[in-house]
Amino acid sequence: MKEYRFRLIIIIAAVAMSIYLLYPTYVDYQNNKKIESVLQSKREEFKQSKLSKSEIEELLVIIEDSLKQADPSIIENRLKRLKLGLDLQGGMRVVLEVNTAKLLEKLANNPDKVFNTVLEESFRESESTDESIVDVLARKLQERGIRLSRYFGNIRQEDSEIISKLKNDADDAVSRAIEIIRNRVDQYGVSEPSIQRQGARRVIVELPGVAKEEEAKQLLQGTALLEFRLVKEPEFTYQIMDRIDKKLAAVLSGNDSLLANLNTENPDTAKTKDNSADSDTTNKQLTEEEFRKQHPFFTAALLDPQGRSADAFVREDDRNKIIRWLSLPEIQKEIPDNVEFVFSAKSFTTTEDGKKVYMMYLVNKQPELTGGVITDAVATLDPNTSSPIVNMEMNSEGAVEWARITGANINKRIAIILDGKVFSAPVVRNKITGGRSQIEGMENLDEAKLLEIVLKAGALPAPVDIIEERIVGPSLGQDSVSSGLNSALLGYLAVALFMIFYYRKSGTIASLVLVITILFVLGVLAGFKATLTLPGIAGIVLTIGMAVDANVLIFERMREEIATGKTMKASVESGFNKAMSAIIDSNITTFFTGIILYQFGTGPVQGFALTLMIGIASTLFSALVISRLIFDYLASKGAKISIG
Amino acid sequence: MRIFSNLNVNWMGKRKTFYIISLAIFILGMLSVIFRGLVFGIDFKGGSEIVLQFEKPVEIGAIRNYLANVELGAVEVRTFGGETGVLVRTELQEIPKTVYPKVVERIKENILSIIPGLEFQIIDSTINSVTFNFPSSDTTNILINELFARGFQTGRVSAELDNTQMLVRVGIADWIKEVLREKILNNTFEVLKEDRVGPKIGDELKRDAIVAVLLSLVVILIYLGFRFKFVFASGAVVALFHDVLITVGLYSILYGVIPGLNLEIDLPVVAAFLTLVGYSINDTVIVFDRIRENMKIHKTMDLEILINKSINQTMSRTVITGFTTLLVVIVLLFLGGDVLRAFSFTLFFGIIVGTYSSIFVASALVLDYSFKSKKKIQF
Repeated sequence: MKEYRFRLIIIIAAVAMSIYLLYPTYVDYQNNKKIESVLQSKREEFKQSKLSKSEIEELLVIIEDSLKQADPSIIENRLKRLKLGLDLQGGMRVVLEVNTAKLLEKLANNPDKVFNTVLEESFRESESTDESIVDVLARKLQERGIRLSRYFGNIRQEDSEIISKLKNDADDAVSRAIEIIRNRVDQYGVSEPSIQRQGARRVIVELPGVAKEEEAKQLLQGTALLEFRLVKEPEFTYQIMDRIDKKLAAVLSGNDSLLANLNTENPDTAKTKDNSADSDTTNKQLTEEEFRKQHPFFTAALLDPQGRSADAFVREDDRNKIIRWLSLPEIQKEIPDNVEFVFSAKSFTTTEDGKKVYMMYLVNKQPELTGGVITDAVATLDPNTSSPIVNMEMNSEGAVEWARITGANINKRIAIILDGKVFSAPVVRNKITGGRSQIEGMENLDEAKLLEIVLKAGALPAPVDIIEERIVGPSLGQDSVSSGLNSALLGYLAVALFMIFYYRKSGTIASLVLVITILFVLGVLAGFKATLTLPGIAGIVLTIGMAVDANVLIFERMREEIATGKTMKASVESGFNKAMSAIIDSNITTFFTGIILYQFGTGPVQGFALTLMIGIASTLFSALVISRLIFDYLASKGAKISIG
Repeated sequence: MRIFSNLNVNWMGKRKTFYIISLAIFILGMLSVIFRGLVFGIDFKGGSEIVLQFEKPVEIGAIRNYLANVELGAVEVRTFGGETGVLVRTELQEIPKTVYPKVVERIKENILSIIPGLEFQIIDSTINSVTFNFPSSDTTNILINELFARGFQTGRVSAELDNTQMLVRVGIADWIKEVLREKILNNTFEVLKEDRVGPKIGDELKRDAIVAVLLSLVVILIYLGFRFKFVFASGAVVALFHDVLITVGLYSILYGVIPGLNLEIDLPVVAAFLTLVGYSINDTVIVFDRIRENMKIHKTMDLEILINKSINQTMSRTVITGFTTLLVVIVLLFLGGDVLRAFSFTLFFGIIVGTYSSIFVASALVLDYSFKSKKKIQF
C-alpha cells in the first residue's frame, strides 16, 4: 500500500480542491433559484395591485437587492463562482479606441492649415500600418522641414523630446479613458463589469445583463465633467442629516411603503450605538432594533463618534438604500436646494468585517470651478517630506478664479469631483495665487497617480470611438448554455459507451477517470476566476474526445505487450512507460497552439484556448497518474483487467 | 474487440496514388478559393448584424423581399438556428443619410402614438442617435420605457431626476426591426443578438489570424525538430500545411452547398483551425514514434518496409483516437447550435484529413526524402 500512498494523497487533494473551488458555483446556482422563486411570487402578488409595469419592475429590483444584501454569503459565493461569458448570460460588449488624432489636435498650440492637413494624412497612414500616429506625424513634419516645437511644447525642446512627451500623453489618455469609464460604470450599477485595456489604444468594456445599450454607450463615450465644489461645514451637514433621519423615521414607520419592510431585513452591526452618542434621544435604553427604527438614516450613514467631521461612512450594501431614500420626495424637501449628497469614488475596507465602505459628503450643487482650466497635473513625491503629492497647474483665467475661491475659503474643504464622484476633498490651507496648487494627504503614490489622471480628465478629454459593439440577448445565452450542456453530456455518453464496448474493463476505468478530468477542468477554471464561454464549453466537449486518446495509446500498447507473453503487471508497467513519449509529444503540440490561440483571440476564443489548455493538463494528470494508479493497484492484486 | 489486428498492407507502395489524390483535392480547393473565394463572417468583414427570433416559423424569402428595397446596400438574410431564427446582415456600419430622416420620422410617429398631440423638440442629432426634449420629466420617463418596449434603444441623457431629454439610437438594426415590424404583423420577434464591427478591426484580425496559424506551424516544426530528426519534423509540418489548406479549400467548395451549414470564416473557425494544427499532428507523432522505436530494434531493415510495419502496427490507435474525437465533434456539429456549427465542421473535416495525412503524406514524404538523399535516415 505504501507505494501508492503518495500518489493517492495527491489525487485526493486534487479532487478535493476541485470540489472546493466549484462549491460556490453550486451554492450560487441554488441561491439564484431561491431568489428567482421569491421574485416570481412577488411578481404575481404585484400583478393584482394597480402598480404600473415599470413600477413593478423597479420594486422587484429593490427586493432583489435587499435579498442579496440580507445574506453576505450570497455575494461571497457569487464572486467565487464560475462566471459565464457574455455569450452565455447576455449583455453588451463594446470595444473603444482612443482617438489619438483628436488628442493631438487638442494638444497642438496654434494649429494651422498645414498642421491639419498633415494630421489628416498621418491619421490615414497610421490606420493602415502599425506605426503610431505620433511617429507618422513627426516624420511628415520633418519631411516638410517643420520642427515639432512649432506646434507642441516650447521652442527649446528637441523633436525627440517632444515625440516621447506626445507618446506619453497618448498613453495617458488611455489610462484616463479607463478611469473615467470605470468611475461611470460603477455608478451605473452593473454587476461584475469588466474593463480591460487591449493593446496600446483600446479598451474593452463588458457589461453583463445590460439591455439599455444606448444609455450605456452614452455613459462610455460622453466627456468627463471635473468640478471643484465646496464641502459644507460639519455643523450644517449634521443638522441636515438629523432632519433627514427624523423625517425618514416618520416616513418608514407609516407602514404604507414597501421600503419600510425592506430596511429592517438588513441586519446591521452593533456599531450604530456609537453614532447615537450625540443624538438627542435617550439612546442608552434603546435596543438595536429600536435604534434602527428611530434612526434609520444614521443606521446606514455612520458618523465619526467624536463629531470631528460630518463625512458619513456608508457600507457598500447600504449605498443604494441611501440613494433611494434621498430621492424620496419627502426627504428631498428636507435638503436645501443648493446642496446635495455625493459619494466617494473609491471605497476602503474596514478592518472589522472586511466590508467595503464609501464616504458620503454634503457639497454645494454649484461648482466653484470646472476642470477645463487645469493645464497640467503631476503626481510626485514631496522633496521635503517624501510623502506623495499632486502638483496642479491652471491657466491664467483659472488661476485668478482659484485665488479668489481659495482666499475666501481658507480652512474649508474643496471636493474634487469627477462625474459626480468625489476623488479627494482637501482642505484649503491658504490663498493660492499664480495657479499652482499642491494637493497632499494621499496614502501612496498610486493614489496620487489616480488623482493626477482624474485632474487631467478635465483638462484633456480622452476622445474615444466605439469600433465594435456586440449585444447578446438573454434568451440566446440560455439556448447556448443548454445546447452546450447537452453536447457535453451526449459527447461524454458516446465516448464512454465506445470505450466500454471496445476496451471492456479498461475502457470502463477510463470512462470513470474522464469524469474526474472534467471535474478538474471546471475546478481549475473556477480557481483561475476564468469565464466560461460557449467556445469554452466546446473546448470542454473537445477535451472529452481528446482525453481518451491518451488511454487509447496506453491500452493499445498494453495489448501489444500482453501479446508478447508478458504478465499483467509487466504489461501495465511497459504499456504506460512506452506510450508516455507519444502522449506527451502529441499533447504538448496542442498545448502550444492553445497558447498562441490565447494570445491571438479575444473574449470567447480566449475562453476556448484556456479550456483547451487546462483540459490537456488535466488529461495528462488523469491518464498518467490516476489511471496508472488504478492499473498498478489492480495488477498487483493479480486481478484480471480486460482490454477488450 | 479489435480492429486492424495483424494488419499487413503495403501503404508506402501506394504512395504515388495518394500523392495524386491529395494534390487533386488540394488544387481543386485552391482553385475554388481563387475563383469562388472564401466567405468571411462579420468578425472579419465588419458591418452590422442582427439576429431575430420569431414566435412562429418565418419565410426567409419573404423577409429577403421586405428588406431588398430599404436602401441598406446588399442585405444578406439567412436562417439562424431553427426555422424561427433569422440573421440579417449588411456591410454598412451606419445608417445612410438618405434613410436617416425616415427612421427619425418613424420614431416621431411612435412617440405620437404613445402620447397623441405631445409637443416636443429635437435638440440634437448625430449620425447614430437623436435627442428629444419633452415638456416634463415624467413624460420623458414614460416614453423612454414605452419606446424601449417597442424595440427602440432609448436612454436618459442625464441621471438627474428632472431630466427631460431622451436619446434614441438611429442604427441599422433599428431600421431593420422597424421595417419588419411593419410588414410582418402576425408574428412577433425578439432580438437575440446585435453586432456591429468596424472595418479596421476586421483587417487586423485577418492578419493576426494568418500570423497565429503560421506561428503555430513554426512552433510545432521547432518542437518536433528537437524531438525527432529534422526530416521527420519537416514531413510532419508539410502534412499540417496539407491539412489546413485542404480544409480551407473544402470550405470554399462546400460554401452554400449543404443547406443549414453556413461555412463562414469567423473567430471560432480560426480557433478550430489552430486546434486542428495542434491536434492533427498527434497521429503523425504516433506513427513517427513507432518508426523511431522500430529503427532501434530492426537496425538493418529497409526503410520502406519499416515504415509500412510501423503504420500497420499503429493503425488501430491512429483510427481510434481520431474516432473518439470525431464522436464529440459530430455531437457538437448537431447539438452545438448555429454559433458552433462552422467551428465543428472545420474540426470534423480537419480530423479526417489529418488522420489521412499522417499516414499518406508525412511518412511518405520522409521515405521519398530518404530515396532522394540516398542516405540512411537515422534518429
